[in-house]
Amino acid sequence: MTIEKTEELLLNMGPQHPSMHGLFRMVVNLEGETVTKLVPKVGYLHRGMEKLAESRTYSQFIPYTDRLDYLASPHNNWAYVLTVEKLMGVEIPERAEYLRVIFGELSRIASHQVCIASTALDMAGWSLWSYAFRDRERICDMYEMTAGSRLTVNNMRIGGMSNEPPAEFWPALQSFLDDTPEMLEEYYGMFFGNEIAQGRLKSVGILSKELAENLSITGPVLRASGVSFDVRKAEPYSIYDRFDFDVPVRTGCDSYDRTIIRMDEIVESIKIIKQAVRDIPEGPIMAKVPKVIKPPVGEVYHRVENPKGELGFYIVSDGTTKPARVRIRPATFINLQMLPIVCLGWKIQDVVAIFATLDAVLGEVDK
Amino acid sequence: MENKLLKQQVEELATQVNGEVEESFGVLVLKVKAPSIIETLTAVKNLPNTPCDFLHDLCGMDLVDHFEVVYQLSSLHGTQLLRVKAIVDREKPVIDSVTSLWQGANFLEREAYDMFGITFKGHPNLKRIYMWDDFEGYPLRKDYVTEPIEVRNITRTRIEGE
Repeated sequence: MTIEKTEELLLNMGPQHPSMHGLFRMVVNLEGETVTKLVPKVGYLHRGMEKLAESRTYSQFIPYTDRLDYLASPHNNWAYVLTVEKLMGVEIPERAEYLRVIFGELSRIASHQVCIASTALDMAGWSLWSYAFRDRERICDMYEMTAGSRLTVNNMRIGGMSNEPPAEFWPALQSFLDDTPEMLEEYYGMFFGNEIAQGRLKSVGILSKELAENLSITGPVLRASGVSFDVRKAEPYSIYDRFDFDVPVRTGCDSYDRTIIRMDEIVESIKIIKQAVRDIPEGPIMAKVPKVIKPPVGEVYHRVENPKGELGFYIVSDGTTKPARVRIRPATFINLQMLPIVCLGWKIQDVVAIFATLDAVLGEVDK
Repeated sequence: MENKLLKQQVEELATQVNGEVEESFGVLVLKVKAPSIIETLTAVKNLPNTPCDFLHDLCGMDLVDHFEVVYQLSSLHGTQLLRVKAIVDREKPVIDSVTSLWQGANFLEREAYDMFGITFKGHPNLKRIYMWDDFEGYPLRKDYVTEPIEVRNITRTRIEGE
């Protein structure tokens, strides 16, 4: 007796693969085109950030945090310096707080643009990719004016900001904010309203609410599964309690909602930036902090809402100039755990779509 | 308000599992011994009124004379925050896995195993996650020697199906 069944195929995707956003690899068992097993493999970009931190002073580690989630580097700086400031009990000037919010939210927009663009690109949607990257350039230009670099910004210091944005920054920011409604309209028309995109994304890769909570998933992926949780609202850090904004929640639990929720978040970020630009006071941008940073003995876990999810730093100080332990809670590393569960039973091209909607940045996954 | 209630409940729990309660920067810290970790975390997850049912982070820590496994807990529906620390013996670092409570602990426990060599009993797939499988040593331990990689003479064997 013979059993008529397709032979199971073992397919290795990555680490050098156009659909993997960086050095990520997954080993997929296929029956025909249907996934029966998926094993994610990470570690190709592991640099040992946590070990490096133990041999550097507190200020020396700030540039390293840029290299975690390099698409939203101001956010990583922010999470780290906030943790150290909390440990030392430093109050930073008002103007620096507002500048941090502006840069943080700009980086959120830039990161979401890349996510939407690369999701489209993975489904062969070239046009949105080039439009989104064109608009992201303007944010990179604003980084460059202020800090000199376009990707790893590194303009936050323990106690404030490194430098004041130049005079041409404010008109550039204003014209960017004015153009955003048109920009978002283009994205909707080009990608989200597209029949092919909807067919590829809708009802694909369902992540239920219960599973998402059990898997410790955070960020837009969690909110697309119908859970209203945002660290900016749940435990407002910096000055987020002063702004009026909503937390977008969608209940579709599918790849389409995980992508389009980032559009909703761009709208909210623009709202926050507009309020910050309106309210920003004049004044110093750096608090008085000692030259040698030596926090007292203690430990702090501080979390911020990174564009990808919750980024947490757990710093243990032993009273010397170097931290005893720096633990980074990477958001996408933990979000990746949904892949082997959610991808089961889907076709190989759906795996590419589901992975794209996670918005994994391997700098952060591998640390 | 919630924190007061949480503190009271955690203190009651601490006497049950023979642990200690501290406070650090406004966050409650519950220190227990490794064998009672499952009992503690099950109780914490199901606390009435203030359940700490969301696992934010799990990490290892080397304190030279012993290891600690640190669990950062909170809830998606309240403001409660709790840090649970399990003290693990350095000579024989074994602790129960919490993957039965939170599936999300899977990668995190593999990372702690990779970096500190802490064995999690009952983990479905306890393998190195960042370093390669035949890597020797545990990098985040304080006594790890950071010598150049050429000195260590590493051979890489290929595993079937990889």
